[in-house]
Amino acid sequence: MRLKQKVTTRVNIPTASMSDIAFLLLLFFLVTTKFRKEIGFKVLLPEARATERIIKTENLARIYINSKGQISVDDFLVNPEGVASRFKLKVLENPGVIAYIKADKRVKYDYVDQVLEALRDAKALRVIFATEFKKG
Amino acid sequence: MPVLPKSKIPQEAEIPTASMADIAFLLIIFFMTSTVFMRDKGLKLVLPEKAGGQVVKIGGERVIRVSINDVGEIYLEEENITSLSDLKEKLANRILDYKAKHEGKDPLIIIRTNVEAPYEKMIEVFDVIKQIPEAKAVSLASIKTGG
Repeated sequence: MRLKQKVTTRVNIPTASMSDIAFLLLLFFLVTTKFRKEIGFKVLLPEARATERIIKTENLARIYINSKGQISVDDFLVNPEGVASRFKLKVLENPGVIAYIKADKRVKYDYVDQVLEALRDAKALRVIFATEFKKG
Repeated sequence: MPVLPKSKIPQEAEIPTASMADIAFLLIIFFMTSTVFMRDKGLKLVLPEKAGGQVVKIGGERVIRVSINDVGEIYLEEENITSLSDLKEKLANRILDYKAKHEGKDPLIIIRTNVEAPYEKMIEVFDVIKQIPEAKAVSLASIKTGG
């Protein structure tokens, strides 16, 4: 009678290329990450329940209005006429441009109104008012 | 004295790469957790085009006015509104009333904000209107004090 010899099979996972995979992932994320271009102002955004997420962010052009009523576009301090002239160029470059207004909630409506008028002058009609989700 | 031949075994230099994967994954996890995502969110609106010569007149009856005065008090037409939930209810009723009378036509809601009012108030009212699914046409206007 023959006794069966026990064969112990060794299981091993090849981990030599694991680091390559990990670095590849790291590089991929490094390359695809887009950094925000402008600094803008620090603003306290108003809260709204109907706030929507904006998925397509390539078309957004940000306008910052701080609590003193200063307006910043592409990190330039501008007046409402400046907003109009800058957005005229933006509309020429990309007709689907969306003005993303980040205005401080304490600012007088006057400044926002002037910016809206300037946007109408520049025919940049798609506007988004930046808000935060309202809790509760 | 006999000279011993030098050992011919080449010395192999080795870099330990077993932990390289750990290092890389650690880096990934570090960047994942330390990244703050700036999600863009807000309320969408399409502005009316600037009338180039032709002015579209809208019947006064079709317009529902929501006004905000310089201290931030809200009025629906002439009526003073104290709470936002109240505004939502009353405005929704008005819209449904108009629709019932005019074969399903949408009324136009205008938010008239005094230039002295805080921007937050306008957003509050706009938010309420956005929450009413029947409110399709919204427009913004401003009131200048003394003019």
